[in-house]
Amino acid sequence: MRKVALVGAGISKFGVRRASYRDLIWEAGKACFDSVAGIKPRDVEGLVVGSVMPERTAFQSHISSMAAEALGIKPSVLSARTEHMCASGTVGIRYAYAFIAAGLADLVMVLGVEKLNQPSSDEAILNMGTGVDREWEAAFGLTAPPCFALAAQRHMAEYGTTEEQLGLVGVKNHTHASKNPNAHFGKGATLEQVLGSRMIASPLRLFMCSPITDGAAAVIVASEERARALTDRPVWIRGTGQALDGFQLTSLHEDYAHWPALKRAADAAYTMAGVRPGDVDLAEVHDCFAIAEMIAYEELGFCKKGEAGAFVAAGRSDYGGDVVVNPRGGLIGCGHPLGATGVAQAAEVFVQLRGQAGPRQVADATIGLTHNNSGMGEHVVMIYGSEPA
Amino acid sequence: MLTQKEFFEKAGAGELQAVRCSRCGALAIPPRAFCPECSERAWQPAPLSGDGTITSYTVIRVAPRGFAGEVPYAIAAVHMKEGVSLLGRVVDIPFDKLKVGLAVRFRPLTRNGQTAVGFGPR
Repeated sequence: MRKVALVGAGISKFGVRRASYRDLIWEAGKACFDSVAGIKPRDVEGLVVGSVMPERTAFQSHISSMAAEALGIKPSVLSARTEHMCASGTVGIRYAYAFIAAGLADLVMVLGVEKLNQPSSDEAILNMGTGVDREWEAAFGLTAPPCFALAAQRHMAEYGTTEEQLGLVGVKNHTHASKNPNAHFGKGATLEQVLGSRMIASPLRLFMCSPITDGAAAVIVASEERARALTDRPVWIRGTGQALDGFQLTSLHEDYAHWPALKRAADAAYTMAGVRPGDVDLAEVHDCFAIAEMIAYEELGFCKKGEAGAFVAAGRSDYGGDVVVNPRGGLIGCGHPLGATGVAQAAEVFVQLRGQAGPRQVADATIGLTHNNSGMGEHVVMIYGSEPA
Repeated sequence: MLTQKEFFEKAGAGELQAVRCSRCGALAIPPRAFCPECSERAWQPAPLSGDGTITSYTVIRVAPRGFAGEVPYAIAAVHMKEGVSLLGRVVDIPFDKLKVGLAVRFRPLTRNGQTAVGFGPR
């Protein structure tokens, strides 16, 4: 297989935006093209768009063609939309990677976009419920927060994890987001604020949850030859892994504090990349809820099973620790515009591994990891490096 | 083979049905087309007792459209006596009594003609 790298990245402002779906595509697409000299939209051979529910939120399907036209791209090799709930953007990057590694394309843009906010917030929450099983879960009032609340409650019962430790994830990611001008939230948060915030689904409080957010992000993925011609600092895709145990929570008979599919996805990515957990300098993990970040520490091998609470409390997932987790502010601080999230994580790794992350820079970062879950039984992991594998 | 429609009709009448693979003996709920263990499609109905214990739970304070009038409400993951697990809405158990390990029993919940899984006290 050929080597593949990111050569450009850009994101829109994330938040409750008075911008249309198309405006968000324009904003991220422009930022991405502006990040790399020497590429115009007409040079791009393919476009993959990760987006989950524009049919409900923007009354628009046929997304990849619409986005290509909006950005002046005329795909000649690849045009597709990816929908994999919260992992949609990263799944799109994997498509671009595979096409380029196989020699079918040399230059592909991957764009993720979502317009989630609606005039009434209960409709926005209802829409998020399309991601769980209609008959078996949504039918009795289940949405995303209670799914992860079940994991949190189980982790607390099994390992003695505390509400304060969950809260520390919220503090860290809100604090990181305060240094990211594109994040949904910019004010940071104290432990007192997090633990005093409103209960959403026990034990998860508002500041331990990602908000409903609009946003878009884009990256340009290139073959080795094109990457070296376009930039002296490509960010290489070194490894990738994806594994699923099941869609319905009710079909996952392992207890919810254990996410074996994440461990399998991570092991596949580490093996392919030729790196170990201890080599990772920064990780953009899927903190849709604080507990998800904590279980990710364990399944990604940053700490032992059951020790995530102590790991975050000791600052080992922050600057100066073992690995900086979610330097851009994570989903809790940046927001989670579903399809845009995985691409925005890749965009953060891109600037970090090039030393361009400004006040968020992780010193001497050479290996970055991204992780998404789209349910507790579905995981995708990417590993990037400043040098190829 | 037990269809989803048949499952929920029986559930609405108070009967909780899993399926058992007649090739490898695996028990599955919800009912499905292929055996997750051996990929066979020879299912036999396997009624469950309805008894189980809570493995995790949460009290929901913010609900989607259609459920706002019901908050707060609790849901639980329940390990059934026969070895499978099931998610459901908790009914008739005070929130302060909820804990991991609490014994519960299946209770159908029918609203707007649609039946969902619920659990009440044993």
